[in-house]
Amino acid sequence: METKDQRFTIVGCENTDKEAIVRPTITYAQDAWRRLRKNPIAMGSLVVLILLAVMAIFGPTLCGQDFTAQSILNKNKLPSAEHWFGTDSLGRDLFARTCIGARVSLLVALCCTLVQIVVGSIYGGVMAYFGGKVDAFMMRVIEVLMSLPYLLVVLIVMLVLGNSIFGLLVALCVTSWCNTARAVRGVVLQLKSSEYVMAARTLGASPARIIRKHLLPNTLSILILNTATSIPNYIFQESTLSFLGMGLQPPDTSLGVLISLGQAAMEFYPTQLVFPALVLVSIVLSFNLLGDGLRDALDPKLRK
Amino acid sequence: MLKYTVRRFLEMLLTLFIIASATFFLLEAVPGDPLLERVERLPESVAQNMYHKYGLDKPTIERYFITMKGMLKGDFGESVRMPGYDIHQLLKETLAPSARLGIQSILVGVTLGLLLGIVAAMFKGTWLDYIIVFFSVLLISVPTLIFGLLLQKYVAGEWGLFPIIGWPKGADLWFGGWKYTVLPTLSGCFSYVATYSRLLKTSMLDVINQDYVLAARAKGLSEPQIVRRHILRNAFIPIITVLPMSVAFALTGSFFIEKIYSIPGFGRYFIESVQARDLSIVLGQTVLMAAVYVAVVFLVDILYTVVDPRIRVGGKQ
Repeated sequence: METKDQRFTIVGCENTDKEAIVRPTITYAQDAWRRLRKNPIAMGSLVVLILLAVMAIFGPTLCGQDFTAQSILNKNKLPSAEHWFGTDSLGRDLFARTCIGARVSLLVALCCTLVQIVVGSIYGGVMAYFGGKVDAFMMRVIEVLMSLPYLLVVLIVMLVLGNSIFGLLVALCVTSWCNTARAVRGVVLQLKSSEYVMAARTLGASPARIIRKHLLPNTLSILILNTATSIPNYIFQESTLSFLGMGLQPPDTSLGVLISLGQAAMEFYPTQLVFPALVLVSIVLSFNLLGDGLRDALDPKLRK
Repeated sequence: MLKYTVRRFLEMLLTLFIIASATFFLLEAVPGDPLLERVERLPESVAQNMYHKYGLDKPTIERYFITMKGMLKGDFGESVRMPGYDIHQLLKETLAPSARLGIQSILVGVTLGLLLGIVAAMFKGTWLDYIIVFFSVLLISVPTLIFGLLLQKYVAGEWGLFPIIGWPKGADLWFGGWKYTVLPTLSGCFSYVATYSRLLKTSMLDVINQDYVLAARAKGLSEPQIVRRHILRNAFIPIITVLPMSVAFALTGSFFIEKIYSIPGFGRYFIESVQARDLSIVLGQTVLMAAVYVAVVFLVDILYTVVDPRIRVGGKQ
């Protein structure tokens, strides 16, 4: 008599492909970009920013006016077909001046942000990497720089270097990298002791690979956020300095210079204040809203 | 714990000393002569006496030691720009208006900001949330200067609701003359509203997804109870970290608002003094501001180690 063991049956292996990953894997950056695209406010402000950048770059050639050409006949004109934003008290075309001003303001802000990010992340990275005494000393340097009144440092640098674009750049950059350095230090310290870095080290990954594969990508989101919030800050600070008369000098111009000139004429010719101020506010507003959107998109905790 | 406190305190003094030295040498590095304007038309011997009086005839290093020694006794020297004045007199006259403006702005701004932040987080994704986010971002995107000018022009000028400039004096210094303080306070509070509403919203959204909130909900607590007892308590931690810094900065004055509304405050002397290279006043103001800042950081650190045992471990590393 033949017995048949019925306790087990062979199920075959045709179902194993259910475990296969069908969808393509997407990287962190792709995922963040996908989520950012779904945010209407952030995308709207991105479009506005691109338009403003185009205006700052091509505006003066587009309207065909020189931003320094004065004309006594065309003083304090209201907006017209010839002068889109009107003219100022010396008969200079306000549209061309606003474009040039926006260009200078944006350029200054971008350069300062670049310096801040590069210096800040190197300084912060070194602090966190070496730790101990080096870390304590470098933290003390930051503490001193941060408790010096910001205006004192800026005013003194501007007094020493003069009212040029270079002086302005240095003045704005001197202490600004401290916050970035602190943020980077915090993240790197946290990451250095995290399990997956330890796992990578146990598996024999070289320090270069750990830095490239684990530390850099994880600090990237902080740096991007820092960029988005720094740019409007610099534009503000530049206009602050111009209001104090410590900003750029003619023929150089910037949004801050235009606003402080417009403020003098505001009672009788409000357009001279309104247009530069409007451009400044829309640049800053767009960067802030974009920064908000980026923060949501880059935060893995808000992922659904 | 005691050892940690003492060490932090000594570090604080060291930081202050470095700041004072840095300020001294930074001002020395500025080209120009603080007395030139005053001595230009005076005879040589009088001019020499003037330089001698302020100690400006001595070499930099010697003056540095004299200044530092004087500072230890609380003597910063006489002002070059305003003869007969020194930092103590200046503080007595200008600190109160600045501090009142700062305190009022913070009270109004932080309260409003926190309320809006709670509302935005509770109604996340609705139109209410979008409106609050948009307006709080708009508020920080318009320069204080422009807001101040607009408020002056329309609210004070055309509608005549409040005085355009001015500040209560004498007996009204702290509690009186409210109508003068409305517009400056309003201009000053916007940045706090924006900062704190955004901060609280983010940190509440972080907390809302935590497991203990789910547990509280599963236990059957009512929604207000969950918010008050579980969400807000934990969401306030980042706020408590930032708030003391805001207070420290607010107490020492806001240059712009003081300038726009002609408030006899602390902030506007600073810029004038730096531009006039008036060492004694700049040094006094810098050391005071830095001392307030450093002291607040110190207190917060110590309080933290008392309140939160997790941070005590981190602080000792």
